[in-house]
Amino acid sequence: MLTDVFDILRDNWLLLLVGQFPNGPLGGIACTLILSVLGIVLAFPLSVALALARLSPWRLLNWPATALVYIARGVPLLMIILWVYFLVPLLIGHNVSGFVTMLCTLVLYEGAYLAEVVRAGIEALPNGQMEAARALGHSHLGAMRLVILPQALFNMLPSMLSQFVSTIKETTLGYVINVPELTFAANQINNQLLTKPFQVFFILAIIYFVVCWSLTRAATALERRIAARRAGLAGAKPGKPAPLAVQPLSAEP
Amino acid sequence: MKGFDLMAILLNPEFRSMLVHGLQVTLTIAACSWLLAMALAVVLLVIRLSPSRITERVVAGYVSYHQNVPTLVQLMLWYFGISSLLPGALQGWLGEHSGEALFAIIGLGLCQAAYFSEDLRSGLRSIPAGQAEAARALGHSYIGSMRHVLMPQAVRNALPALVNHSVSLFKNSSLAMAIGAAELTHAVKEVENQSFRAFESYLLATMLYLVFSLLIMAVGAWLGQRTRVATAR
Amino acid sequence: MIAFSNVNKWYGNYHALNDINAEVKKGEVVVVCGPSGSGKSTLIRTVNRLEEIKSGELRFDGQNVHAPMSSSELNRLRSRIGFVFQSFNLFPHLSALDNVMLSPMRVRGVKRAEARDKAMQLLERVGLATKAPSYPAQLSGGQQQRVAIARALAMEPPAMLFDEPTSALDPEMVGEVLAVMRRLAEDGMTMMCVTHEMGFARDVADRVWFMDAGRILESTEPESFFRNPQHPRAKRFLSDLRSH
Repeated sequence: MLTDVFDILRDNWLLLLVGQFPNGPLGGIACTLILSVLGIVLAFPLSVALALARLSPWRLLNWPATALVYIARGVPLLMIILWVYFLVPLLIGHNVSGFVTMLCTLVLYEGAYLAEVVRAGIEALPNGQMEAARALGHSHLGAMRLVILPQALFNMLPSMLSQFVSTIKETTLGYVINVPELTFAANQINNQLLTKPFQVFFILAIIYFVVCWSLTRAATALERRIAARRAGLAGAKPGKPAPLAVQPLSAEP
Repeated sequence: MKGFDLMAILLNPEFRSMLVHGLQVTLTIAACSWLLAMALAVVLLVIRLSPSRITERVVAGYVSYHQNVPTLVQLMLWYFGISSLLPGALQGWLGEHSGEALFAIIGLGLCQAAYFSEDLRSGLRSIPAGQAEAARALGHSYIGSMRHVLMPQAVRNALPALVNHSVSLFKNSSLAMAIGAAELTHAVKEVENQSFRAFESYLLATMLYLVFSLLIMAVGAWLGQRTRVATAR
Repeated sequence: MIAFSNVNKWYGNYHALNDINAEVKKGEVVVVCGPSGSGKSTLIRTVNRLEEIKSGELRFDGQNVHAPMSSSELNRLRSRIGFVFQSFNLFPHLSALDNVMLSPMRVRGVKRAEARDKAMQLLERVGLATKAPSYPAQLSGGQQQRVAIARALAMEPPAMLFDEPTSALDPEMVGEVLAVMRRLAEDGMTMMCVTHEMGFARDVADRVWFMDAGRILESTEPESFFRNPQHPRAKRFLSDLRSH
């Protein structure tokens, strides 16, 4: 069986790496990673906005944001993919590729989950920070931009990194709408070979494992360094410590 | 596009029965895999607490695998991969007796067991050391102190995480669609195909999912309330 | 009741307990005091084997505490030694009554009704009968420690060990806990207390052990210890105490 694994890898490594490129759209791991990076980068500003909206005392901002977050937490990603696949062509007027659909879905879904991470980071800072900034004359948004968010986001870097790992795992659902990412590529291989499904999916699992595990390790190491740094700075800082959980907020599909 | 007409779906008995059946399959998969996951999580925790380094590594490896490989890939590995390794007669039997749902239950159960056991483990570790000492000082055995003092507190500590992961488990039941199980998302796609009313059918399914997810969260919050008075420090 | 013979303990190279020879007789109240790091807590924790010893012998009511024994024998021995912790360590998920009832029921097999009656009596004895249904989070520090004492007494131990029982309490609550301990002593309980409360030592103790750097430097009656300490280290300790 081990020889099968090596044979399959040797024959199909290009497909797994970049899909049909250049004879087709970019696929494989490259597609997975690009989708994940774009997804989380674009989700980031949305998440900050949602977090601020959730923390705001104005119901007009607070309620819709809270509703959005609860919907993302309560509805399966697959269902959201179906919605986006259906709604986006309606809204723009023409069809979009599976890649774009998946990207929009990820931005929305991760935006909601990241919003909770950002919110936790903001709430974990001592109240004194905001008070000091306002006492110096900063507006609420100014204080957020210059004082609160920089600190909160730095502290939440490990959590964000693990949300990134979640995003990578979520890209596998693109398979259902024919996004040519890694899982799709593996299924293509399996449909060609037909006789070695276990080996093919074993390879698929191992690849994801290596990628995600290394990133998780990096997140844990980062968390340790940040905690050490904060302990050094925190000499006179009272207040609750930020939650150092590296576990993602259950976004794993 | 036709006008919005929810009743066209709700009043049609065929569509209704497809959705109801899909919901049943979803709830069955979710409930069975939850039970499997919880039972296995306790077993994993007990194994991990044993002094042997080897068992600790094995369980750590199990958890690491299930947390780093996407759930969809895990289900595919079970349904396409492992089933192909089974003897032919068993494969035939599974084909006739909704093997998709069964593999979904096994796959999801094993995956979430990893998360649940980590939650319980964190819950256990957040108990102050004095608790175990006090229990031993009173003469309780290791098992006794676990049963009466430590595990009750561990579960209470782990409750928020356990509830979160339970909601995840429920949502992940939709992944079973990718391996052919006739659960709710699959049913919704079928209804959409036949009725051409994507918006209405999606809306129904979304509301059903939301209702149950929020229900799980509400139960979790209620349980948390009941035990919070007792353990607030 | 409690007998140390040539007891030694090392943490790595650090000699935590240095050739301890001492005895707590039945009905005696012994207070162990000394500067921090002197080994007082370590000493008292060796009695119910929460700490191990490297050499020597420690006997509790005639039984060799550190002999090789099965875990069930150790559990049985521990159930006969009452231990009160500095940080109370009440079980937060149980009410005060349940805290006191739990161990007689689960370790000794006492029936629920009997355990309940006994527990209520003990809570009365420490002055907390009205707080029986309360949870630890709803009790003050002093009340929690008194429940912890009741919990230890529930196992009917022939001797009680106290590891700095009042050090974690706000000053106004120290008195209520010391009052309970005083009454226990008057009732004839054998007690070994690590404490900084010199008033308690003076009034209640039969002997005071002064420890420093793992050794018992002085072992005398409280009056002579407080009025006329022999060892220079003891003199310094007492003058430090008095200077604030």
